[in-house]
Amino acid sequence: MFIRRRLYSVGLTLAVLALLVYWTYYQKSALGRVSFGTGYVLLAAIFFLALYNIHKKLPTLPWGSSSDWLQAHIYVALGTALVFGLHVDWRFPTGILDLTLATLYSATFLSGIVGLVWSRTIPARLARVSEEVIYERIPMLRSQLCDRAQEAVLETVRSSGSTTLGEFYSRRMHGFFERTRGLGYFLRPNNRLRRRLLAELTEVSRYLSPPEQVTCEQLFAMVRRRDDLDFHAAMQWRLKAWLFLHIGLTYPLLAVACLHGLLAHWFGGGLL
Amino acid sequence: MPQTEIIANRPQRWDVPFGDAMRDSDVDQLLQIEPFRSIDPERFPSALPLRAILKNDTRVNHYQDGGIIVREGDYGSSAFLVVQGKARVVLAGLDEEVLGRQPESKPGFLKSMFRQWRNPRLPEVRSHVASRSELIGNDSQQVADLAQTRVFLQDIPRVLENTRSVVLHPGEIFGELAALTRSPRTATVLADGETVLLEIRWQGLRDLMRRTDALRRHIERLYRENSLRVHLRETPLLSHLPAEHLEAVAEATLFETYGDFQWHETFHSSSSSHSGSSGKATDAVVAEPLIAEEGSPCEGLVLVRSGFARLSHGFGHGHRTVAYLGKGQVFGLAEVIGTSTKNEPVPMSHSLRGLGYVDVLRIPQAVLEKHVFPNVSQQLLDEVAAEHAFFRPEHHGSQAQVETPLLEFLVEQRFINGQQAMLVDLDRCTRCDDCIRACAATHDNNPRFIRHGFRHGSLMVAHACMHCVDPVCMIGCPTGAIGRDRTTGVVQINDPTCIGCSTCAESCPYDNIRMVEIRDSSGAIVIDDSTKQPIHKATKCDLCTDLPTGPACQSACPHDALVRMDLGNLGELSEWVNR
Ligand code: HEM
Ligand code: SF4
Repeated sequence: MFIRRRLYSVGLTLAVLALLVYWTYYQKSALGRVSFGTGYVLLAAIFFLALYNIHKKLPTLPWGSSSDWLQAHIYVALGTALVFGLHVDWRFPTGILDLTLATLYSATFLSGIVGLVWSRTIPARLARVSEEVIYERIPMLRSQLCDRAQEAVLETVRSSGSTTLGEFYSRRMHGFFERTRGLGYFLRPNNRLRRRLLAELTEVSRYLSPPEQVTCEQLFAMVRRRDDLDFHAAMQWRLKAWLFLHIGLTYPLLAVACLHGLLAHWFGGGLL
Repeated sequence: MPQTEIIANRPQRWDVPFGDAMRDSDVDQLLQIEPFRSIDPERFPSALPLRAILKNDTRVNHYQDGGIIVREGDYGSSAFLVVQGKARVVLAGLDEEVLGRQPESKPGFLKSMFRQWRNPRLPEVRSHVASRSELIGNDSQQVADLAQTRVFLQDIPRVLENTRSVVLHPGEIFGELAALTRSPRTATVLADGETVLLEIRWQGLRDLMRRTDALRRHIERLYRENSLRVHLRETPLLSHLPAEHLEAVAEATLFETYGDFQWHETFHSSSSSHSGSSGKATDAVVAEPLIAEEGSPCEGLVLVRSGFARLSHGFGHGHRTVAYLGKGQVFGLAEVIGTSTKNEPVPMSHSLRGLGYVDVLRIPQAVLEKHVFPNVSQQLLDEVAAEHAFFRPEHHGSQAQVETPLLEFLVEQRFINGQQAMLVDLDRCTRCDDCIRACAATHDNNPRFIRHGFRHGSLMVAHACMHCVDPVCMIGCPTGAIGRDRTTGVVQINDPTCIGCSTCAESCPYDNIRMVEIRDSSGAIVIDDSTKQPIHKATKCDLCTDLPTGPACQSACPHDALVRMDLGNLGELSEWVNR
């Protein structure tokens, strides 16, 4: 079903673009001007792309499903690349306003591409993690886990009297359970720390008394769980953050694009 | 009906009293009146004496003039015997509003679209909150137990003016069919003057019926007179049978029930102990009541009347679920045809077991041989045989391919009950929560589901009302506030008449109904005058029935990750899973 939809949309997009290209070459060969034509098409497309934000804000209106809108959004957005190229005649502009505008457009476009790739690849990676968690609940789950780990270790120290595990825990693991991961992890989640802690735990388990061994087994599971939570936190954060940036770029882009259009009319195209 | 429950000791249900305890003198009195006077106590086993059934499975209810005893469309699990006074059965449909069911007013098209601008900021705000006394009327008999609250009809003569009704007198029973077959009540019954009724819970009724021929015959006659013929006509082999032969088949059809009517009460505990290991799953399958066994000679056709049954096939040391059958589906067609053509019993190719509660009809082979096979063309026979050579119920679609583990998961968790289950494809879901926001926007800022739930691989069944085929939540709502829309099948809670007793929330096996504290328009939590406690209301997904776009969650999902689906339709499911 998705494949058929993709074929259809790609076909339609290419057909529309072909028409547009044909029109510009026809105009140019007749020594006409294409800048206003492509400019208006581009502006309209950007308005349409931005309208998706409004659509999401009004989910009770019967104006198409969000999934249809996203499909239209993606193909129109991809199409704008060609229109943009035609509009600037495949040269990056130099004027300060035009440069700003072109940069804003490119940034929005790129953020869209990157976001789309993330939106299509991250969910499956999250689904492979054993537990599904709601983003807002992660801090609570984390602190519960931290309390449980600490509780288990303290209890073992109390009941068994031996402190090997206790010392190892406070030296190597407590920080892991208590603190959130650094920015580096959020940007590039990886399992280095998880692997290292599990290896150290395996190493220390040789010196543990039987009751400590039992707690140690629990700690293995807790480290994995905590790392899974962190992975969810980082990935879900990324899925939210890119969109935030994408929308954040959209409105300045719109504003500058409108200004640019106005000026173009004022100065009779002198700026182009 | 076969005895599917082996009675070793005192039935467990008796640990929970059915209303106020019956005194011995009450039981003595009951034994003096019909139908109990003519029941032979000798026919009851020592662990289940007639006296104990009356003592533990019945209660005496008093109604004032106009008290609603049962409401058309409600689901209930008990029958009633008129002891004193009269009960009036209203045959023509009463106005839903009179019964306290219709939502106050539905917002119009435009209003519902733009309502999110008027949504209150705080959760669970209600513009008008009726007090309990307003709802329950002049209930002189204050009951501590909210679940026993009764609703009264005011101004009966006017209400009944243009409707046909029948009066029941002492000794007559009503409500038995709905209680035994889990079907909605077909009529509303009101107290006509002061009335005393004996309410009998379904287990007690079933036990009485098994040992009382007159009662059993009475109930089976009702069965036959009601929907049996329609049901038979919908069966592939019988759809074109001449009327007189259909009549003969109807007369010879056997009625059987398996499993526990109140399956939802025990389901929670059993499902939480289910760890998903295959050993346990096999035990669970074997524990389910057997309706027909793989390898045993074919004895006739089985039609599912209500509930669900698991179709399984022996595999290694266990059982592999092949499909599940629901209302209207047929088991054993290929075998009965094979038996007839080969002239000797063919072994059954699959086993059929009851899941929760299931109600089946059985047409014996001999009856089919006599009345059906001689009257259908060879062509039809071949067609049906070819279609059912391997199990393939018609509405499952021809290329229904759902992998067995997924099928086991849906059966184990009883999600097969869902007609509008919310499935989330975790491989596509970006966890953006647009679905939650759309739901909140549609429901005064209160999301009515949780984007979390049981998982099978990357498929998640979220906590959202599934608008079940077997809506156990609807059993026992004292005011009828929770009801099923007759045209759309959507289960809805009428907020103004919900008294917050949480019967429905506790019955829902999937934990999809939430009890909430409500606020008035100033934002203050509303306190009940009489109890000084916050007023609660039951809330759940209403499928956005008043939105032109259908469920807001589904249309708000940008990534095609969320769908509302009938899990009884495996064709649809397989299409979605393999898209
Ligand atoms: C170039 C101009 C673009 C503009 C002005 C623009 C604007 C927007 C806006 C306003 C939204 C709505 C976000 C929300 O309210 O949640 C959005 C969402 C989105 N855009 Fe763009 N966009 C552009 C280009 C692109 C491109 C090139 C792609 C990728 C091919 C893209 C992919 C997406 C996706 C996937 C979403 C939805 C994400 C989600 O809901 O999870 N966009 N865009
Ligand atoms: S709207 Fe779709 S993608 Fe977003 S959280 Fe809901 S199900 Fe997931």
